[in-house]
Amino acid sequence: MKKIVLSLLSLLLVVSLVSSAIAAGQFNGAWPYTPPPVGHFNSYATNAITLGMYYDLIEQPLAMYLWASGKWMPLLATKWSLNRKTNTFRVYLRKGVKWQDGKTFTAKDVVTTFYLGYLYNWAIWRYIDKVTAVDDYTVDFHMAVVCAPMVLERYVLRTQIRSDAVYGKYASQVIALLNQGKKSDSDEMKKLRAEFDQFRPEKMIGTGPFILDPKNLTESEITLTKFDGYWDAEKIQFDKIKVYNGETPVVTPLVMAKEVDYATHGFPPATEKQFIQMGVRIIRPPIYSGPAIFFNHNIYPFNLKEVRQAIAYAIKKEENAFVSLGDSAKRQIYMTGLSDNLVPQWLSEAVIKRLNKYDYNPDLAAKILTKLGFKKGADGIWVTDKGTKMEYELLVPAEYADWAAAAENAAEQLTKFGIKTTVRGITYAQHPTEVRAGRFQMAIAGWGSAHPHAHFSYYTDLVTYNYPSGLGPGMNFPLVQTTKSVGKVDLDKLITQSAEGYDLLQQKKIVEKLALAFNELLPIVPLWERYGNNPALDGVRVTNWPKEGDPIYKNSPYADNFVTIMILNGTLKPVTK
Amino acid sequence: MSKVKKLFSNYIFLRVIRAILTIFIVATLTFFIIRLMPGNPIEIYIGQLMSQYGMSFQDAKNQAAALFSIDLDAPLSKQYVIYMRNLLRGDFGVSFLSQGTPVSLMIAAYLPWTIFSVGISILISFSLGITLGMISAYKRGGIFDHIVSTVAAILSAIPNYLIGILLLIIIGVQLGLIPVSAMRGTVSPGIKPGFTWTFIKDIFSHALLPIMTYVVSTVGGWTLSMKSSTLNTLGEDYVTVAKARGLPESRITFAYVGRNALLPLFTSLTMQMGFLMGGSALIESIFVYKGIGWALGSSIAQRDYPVMQAVFLIITIAVIVANFIADLLYSKLDPRIKIGGE
Repeated sequence: MKKIVLSLLSLLLVVSLVSSAIAAGQFNGAWPYTPPPVGHFNSYATNAITLGMYYDLIEQPLAMYLWASGKWMPLLATKWSLNRKTNTFRVYLRKGVKWQDGKTFTAKDVVTTFYLGYLYNWAIWRYIDKVTAVDDYTVDFHMAVVCAPMVLERYVLRTQIRSDAVYGKYASQVIALLNQGKKSDSDEMKKLRAEFDQFRPEKMIGTGPFILDPKNLTESEITLTKFDGYWDAEKIQFDKIKVYNGETPVVTPLVMAKEVDYATHGFPPATEKQFIQMGVRIIRPPIYSGPAIFFNHNIYPFNLKEVRQAIAYAIKKEENAFVSLGDSAKRQIYMTGLSDNLVPQWLSEAVIKRLNKYDYNPDLAAKILTKLGFKKGADGIWVTDKGTKMEYELLVPAEYADWAAAAENAAEQLTKFGIKTTVRGITYAQHPTEVRAGRFQMAIAGWGSAHPHAHFSYYTDLVTYNYPSGLGPGMNFPLVQTTKSVGKVDLDKLITQSAEGYDLLQQKKIVEKLALAFNELLPIVPLWERYGNNPALDGVRVTNWPKEGDPIYKNSPYADNFVTIMILNGTLKPVTK
Repeated sequence: MSKVKKLFSNYIFLRVIRAILTIFIVATLTFFIIRLMPGNPIEIYIGQLMSQYGMSFQDAKNQAAALFSIDLDAPLSKQYVIYMRNLLRGDFGVSFLSQGTPVSLMIAAYLPWTIFSVGISILISFSLGITLGMISAYKRGGIFDHIVSTVAAILSAIPNYLIGILLLIIIGVQLGLIPVSAMRGTVSPGIKPGFTWTFIKDIFSHALLPIMTYVVSTVGGWTLSMKSSTLNTLGEDYVTVAKARGLPESRITFAYVGRNALLPLFTSLTMQMGFLMGGSALIESIFVYKGIGWALGSSIAQRDYPVMQAVFLIITIAVIVANFIADLLYSKLDPRIKIGGE
């Protein structure tokens, strides 16, 4: 008997020791935020303290997306379906979920969330006209304009759901105004928006596994504490998540002092090297975008596709990638305007085979220019058939170190080839304005988008800095073009059509057309694709990081962060000491 | 009539009028100059949403357009009149980027921390600098002088943000003498403000690195100025006379040399006191210290015009007031100088 009691006591001691070690589990991250009084907890308004990737752990979304498999990880939603006859997207909600204030999560919360989104012109309202609570755990989204299920799914499922108890009174005013026929640009709606912008809840109430208590907030850090009433609490391995405030320069010493377990900040290659030497692992998830050379198509000879092709051949893109961001930049292989990571999902093998990779070939570039009647002058600079020297300026946001390096290297290579290029760095704040106004010759700007649907990438490539954006002439690339690969195309129309209708196969065909046209026309020349250089500290506070090559690392760190997912599904664990 | 004439010939009255005029000119110039800065709050916010949240341009544009009720396209003259009218009422306006947050509330939250950290730094730096400068002057040509002058020259040439980063990396990361994360910010989570030992100890520990940075980066300047001023004073006839009169060395050092050598530095000190209101955007950012410099830095980055205007105006007023006080006190310190022809 005595032995049994002793054994039980020992077991109890061991269990309590182990559990106390786990209970002390803390994950340290970093994200920039603005503290009060400027920062606040109205998650719709600017300067809300939402903490980026950690926001999903506070106000949880309906689901998160796993990029490698193309599947959703259900959270507040359990399942969903699309009724093609009624154009209704139905979402079934999880039962038994509690808000952090003890209230029950219901369909009313979802309705409130999306109607307040109407007040802020959320993109989903371009397609839907009504959100209805069918019962306490079922919500219908009615589409007025049919859009691609993948697009709608993302708009609905990836939205963080807000509490009706906190925001309900404003949502009901939006619904009342809509019932009166008032649209988002009406004076009444604007007045309500101005009023709601000033709404400051005392704290953020979510359904997620962590609580953001203002008492645990200073300008330097926020400590999120575990919500014991979370619906999937047993999977959550950490008791606390500490988020340090700050941008790259401020977070760097913390990473070096091993105070941060994971960060998504863009660290310079030299800093990254230092991290590696200190034993910090670097994870390189795809960002699904990068820098490209944008041309002002009003300027001859940039309006000739052959010239743009020659420029693509004249730049050794591997070199450009490496000097810009080391191992976190990879040259564009397929040159489709779409991330190489998304190419297999959207393009067939047959189409991929037809793509020109524009491998470095200065001889071919010279041949193309010669065929156009261009000649190289005695000074080694190409002269167009109209007699103008090929001397240009390349505009770049000076503060973006990786883009500035890409610009310098591209300019050096082009000058060596005979297209004299001078880099002009201007502040990042002015750069988009200059490009949109068409006040540039060549410029470095972003291509691609961290969205699984190809529509968004092509919108960035061809519309964001082009006349259809309505914000200026931009590069002024005509979107109706005649091509050898796909004949006459209206690229603007194709971009819109690529996100319309239910037929994914049809959408893929449109995307293939866009890819082939882009590959031939090269309205912009993508230089490389950016990958993260996220430091991940193993073994100090956090362990069980999956090995390199794990499919979870295909997730974009800014869209469906893999660390957030691994905290939610219990993959990451605290170190037990 | 004579009363009016007397009033207008009153030095203090004229200085007050001149100060008000200067403030008005600076407020006007600030208003227009910041609007000439490249970029605008909406464009920057779109970029921020795209880079930090992976939003597509369409989504970011929609959200930004809806979020800002500010009319950046309104005629500048109209915006200016509204600004000046509000300013006369003591109203700095509302932050563009956090609708409903009065700028005055932000200033009240940030300014005390800057006054605390920079104020202490100036006092330490000034005291240390004049002491070292004076000793250097007395021991001119010696090893002490060579070391102090060289170090002072080097320190005054290094930008303060670089000193801040070096302190953080060397003391915090390489040597591990201080916990980097615990030293950030102004106060630890959960510490309640009040006249308690816990609170006072906590705010001093958080201000340690910013204070060290300010002191290290400014002490060199004070040292060199004091040395130069002391050397000049030591060559003055009244010092020679004092020595010839056989006055005690300590009296000569403090009452004759020290006091007179300090006079040229006094103006710089009061001006520094004025500029302390602006803090340092870079130092406060490095240490995530919630001071006015940090607020200014982030408002410039986000083009939050009302906050920028308010901070610049406060700096201006502080410098003008400090200058004014310096003028008034100067006559007390140096009886040879009289103000207003008195």
